Amino acid sequence: MNSAIRNGLGYTTLALMIAALFMVFDYVPPEAEQGIAQLIFYFHVPLAWVAFASFGIVAIAGIFYLWLGDQLWDDLGYAAAETGMVFCTLMIVAGSIWAKPIWGTWWTWDSRLTTTFILWLMYCGYLMLRASADDTPQVARFAAVLGIVAVLDVPIVIASVRLWRTIHPAVLVTKQGGHGLEDPRMVATLMVCLAAFTALWAWLLMLRFMQLRTRSRMGTLAVRIAFANAAASDSK
Amino acid sequence: MSGFAAVLRKDLRLELRSGESTLALLALSMLVLVVLVFALDSARLRSVDVAAGALWVAMVFAGMLGANRALLAERDNGAIRGLLLSPLDPGTLFAAKLAAALIFMAVAEVGAVILMVLFFNLEFDQSIARLAPILALGAIGFSALATLLSAITGRTRGGDMLLPILAVPIFVPALIAGVKASAAALGGAPLSSMGDWLRIMIAFDVLFVTAGYLLFELVVGED
Amino acid sequence: MEHLGYLFAAYSIIFAVIFLYVLFIWRRQAALDAELRTLEARMAALNESSPAAGSSEPRTDI
Repeated sequence: MNSAIRNGLGYTTLALMIAALFMVFDYVPPEAEQGIAQLIFYFHVPLAWVAFASFGIVAIAGIFYLWLGDQLWDDLGYAAAETGMVFCTLMIVAGSIWAKPIWGTWWTWDSRLTTTFILWLMYCGYLMLRASADDTPQVARFAAVLGIVAVLDVPIVIASVRLWRTIHPAVLVTKQGGHGLEDPRMVATLMVCLAAFTALWAWLLMLRFMQLRTRSRMGTLAVRIAFANAAASDSK
Repeated sequence: MSGFAAVLRKDLRLELRSGESTLALLALSMLVLVVLVFALDSARLRSVDVAAGALWVAMVFAGMLGANRALLAERDNGAIRGLLLSPLDPGTLFAAKLAAALIFMAVAEVGAVILMVLFFNLEFDQSIARLAPILALGAIGFSALATLLSAITGRTRGGDMLLPILAVPIFVPALIAGVKASAAALGGAPLSSMGDWLRIMIAFDVLFVTAGYLLFELVVGED
Repeated sequence: MEHLGYLFAAYSIIFAVIFLYVLFIWRRQAALDAELRTLEARMAALNESSPAAGSSEPRTDI
């Protein structure tokens, strides 16, 4: 059944992506002031939503792992962290490329960019923790605790960064997309892109998750075989 | 004597005998401030914003050093097993470790504040007194976070770099609030005007002391 | 059309990175499959040498 889900997601992603590209490049009217680079926005926003959603999954999977102890939840958390990292990085890169022609600079410490960067750093920490140790249940527990602690912190980060920027606004007044989309065609395009990237994310998550499941199961199997081997040679 | 008091007394006594951790923390605070004095534009050194920022940089780095050492003594001799086998519950152990880390950090903070006033041409007046609660809130939050995380990082291969990469992004909100409130205090503002920042720090502290208390048993253990 | 270069860069990078991630997953899968074959061989060898000690067929369906 898992293969069916995975394949279904794959085809859905393909279809939605084609639709999304068509809408971005052929259907949506150009935005009045920003020129053609504004189209990056239609990919940048979905990337953001997916990055945050993935982070949530990491935390939820961590909670379930600590509660139920099933390796499945740890595999899900790790897969979500990897895919989340990929999309978070892409979001920052896309945003930066969008910023250069629009604001004239590659980076600025406005509230959204800052919060995203903090999120990206949290992902880095999580993945570095997993990379620095073997795949033991202890490390899975550590990762779960880290994921929970990080996600609990996110609301406080958002609040503090917003307050920071309200009192000291960024040098450039940023044009935040997502509000003031006048044309309904723009909204429709954004929705389709959102759906396309959610499907893409779900598909990649499923791929990696199934792979980690296989690896975990094989680890158990290898241990059983080793024991059986030992038992067989003992009885000879 | 309660378990909490016993563990705390042990850590403090160990430190009083050798004093090496305290010295290291004070030395690091001072060195960080010295580097910043030379790294920053001297015309800005009169600015309270810069002074507050430098102070917090010194505190964060000293805090990380202190946290690493909080569990170091037990780890070296496998004494963690003794602690775990004792009737002491992990939450209380966390509280004791937190208290020890807090005391070390407080010592480092006092030293850093004195140096800050000297290096950045400030005055030892009421504004420094107003700093105290702000720094206390920051120390509590950071110590709680670092105590919890150092239990993890001490048991993995990540080395000394892993604790900062985990702690810094999570600590950001308290850092922002702490620096802003400190700069305001040094500029003469009363504590009542910093309500928003203080609320953020209090929320952070409550969250991480609670989280640390509840989650410590999941991460503490032998290697 | 000004800024076309930026648009092109952004979209190419997005798709390139996603493609690379899929590639990464693909190669990991190949390594896993090889490992699985080794394990299956060992399993078979075990079943031959001592049928009593052999355990049930490993579940390889994902």
